[in-house]
Amino acid sequence: MRHRGSGRRCGVAAAESGLSESGVRVPVMRLAVEAEQLAKQYRGRGGTVDAVRGVDLSVGAGEVFGFLGPNGAGKSTTVRMLTTLLTITSGTATVAGVDVATDPDGVRRRIGVALQEAGLDARQSGRELLILQARLFGMSAAQARIRAEELLELVDLVDAADRRIKGYSGGMKRRLDLASALVHEPDVLFLDEPTTGLDPASRLTVWDELRRINARGTTIFLTTQYLEEADQLCHRVAIIDGGLIVREGTPDELKAELRDRRGLDAEPTLDEVFLDATGRTRERRAGEVQEVSG
Amino acid sequence: MSALEQANVLGGRALREAWRTPEALAPTIFIPVFFLIVNFGQAGKIFPSDSTDFLYGQTYAAFQLPISLLLAASFGTAALYLVEEIEGGYFDKLRAAPVARTALVSGRLLAEGAKSVVITAILVAIALPLGVSIASGLAGFLLLLLLTSLWAVVFSGFMQLIALKTRSAAATNSGGLIFFPLLFLTPNFVPRELLTRPMEIAATLNPVTYVMEAMRALILQDLSWTPVIRGFGVVAVLGVLMVTLNVRVIRAYD
Repeated sequence: MRHRGSGRRCGVAAAESGLSESGVRVPVMRLAVEAEQLAKQYRGRGGTVDAVRGVDLSVGAGEVFGFLGPNGAGKSTTVRMLTTLLTITSGTATVAGVDVATDPDGVRRRIGVALQEAGLDARQSGRELLILQARLFGMSAAQARIRAEELLELVDLVDAADRRIKGYSGGMKRRLDLASALVHEPDVLFLDEPTTGLDPASRLTVWDELRRINARGTTIFLTTQYLEEADQLCHRVAIIDGGLIVREGTPDELKAELRDRRGLDAEPTLDEVFLDATGRTRERRAGEVQEVSG
Repeated sequence: MSALEQANVLGGRALREAWRTPEALAPTIFIPVFFLIVNFGQAGKIFPSDSTDFLYGQTYAAFQLPISLLLAASFGTAALYLVEEIEGGYFDKLRAAPVARTALVSGRLLAEGAKSVVITAILVAIALPLGVSIASGLAGFLLLLLLTSLWAVVFSGFMQLIALKTRSAAATNSGGLIFFPLLFLTPNFVPRELLTRPMEIAATLNPVTYVMEAMRALILQDLSWTPVIRGFGVVAVLGVLMVTLNVRVIRAYD
């Protein structure tokens, strides 16, 4: 577990062992995502904005990693840097062992991306979209058709496969977006608020999908505003505020730390950890515990 | 998969998109036909075919046809679809895939070129009853299709550039209006030598003039290579410029 300014990395979920130079078997961390002092600065007419101010991250292979923070904290900017969509101002990042800045195409081949607002082409059918995505990842037309069928079955969209996407419900679009991110069986799946705007039933369906995907060995890097979602799905979480990581650890570790530090009788919720970490209080944000804005 | 294959796959998608939005496609035929008929109707009697040298025995509609072809090739709807994609997030999905940046920009441009071939053929067919024929024959007709299609690529490249820079539908739409001054600063009603001196200078400086004159040469005369080569030269230079600028912008796209 890490606290504001401590700079200590917590252990990652997946670890392998290897031989050191002296022949002693030592644990070797297999990292899916690693960032050191990652920063993003925007320059505009109004001056310079430091959106991310030196983020260190270590996400182990096979983990579901939750990246939490209030609106404008730097979550999406960090994800966009890690997924090659934004240039990195300073610091380094590797995803699936590939350097994001020097080999962006290598990273793109190993990641799946589903960003905020399902990014789909509404004029295509679900099947066409998946086939196109598979073709762009180098599959032949025949392979792409087969892969699209597999994914449609996985996300339960076979019946709607040949309908135009513009007629899909929000939940269907999210599932299709997920499927399109999985077309090439990525090592790391980046999901930016994958359940925002979904009804509770659709949210649960997406959670089930994510558990299934993770069970197949895919690392999931998830940003969310829903703390219950992070609690349910994530092996570890990091909380970012003002462009800096202010807490990192397993949900249980973070709750236990708050309980001990505050001398609480009952175990706090992840909501309370979040509010404590971001310097916000329930009183200040009555009724907005789940979605706190800075 | 090579960048060319990726561009082809993305171009196929853009063509499907155009085919599925006939309401956006219809004006690209209707408005050029409207201008052809109105301009021919208004000035056809002023320039009778038997006594107007620059018509080479054809009707004034043949002289006006290149303007309609250029207009049809300069709608730039593809750029508006691109803005939609940027706003909706699908463009980021494509950017996050291992797709060559050149393919990302040229997919839509290829589709615009292909679409323009079909629209040009339709417009030529519509013009035939107005006394228009392609004097340079089948080879000339094919060159006319190619030239118009390449102009469509150039103009779409320009519109796409605005879309990528501004990410705004309103700005992209407004940017498209730049074509109208360029279209009217040409020998659009009479040949260049009959224009007033200031207009002749403006037309000579305007690259659209050379594309229009090449089209006119293909429609009105036997194959006359000098204006045709000049027209192709202009679209080649502008085409390379537009693709280069598009690739530069998309590489720096944040």
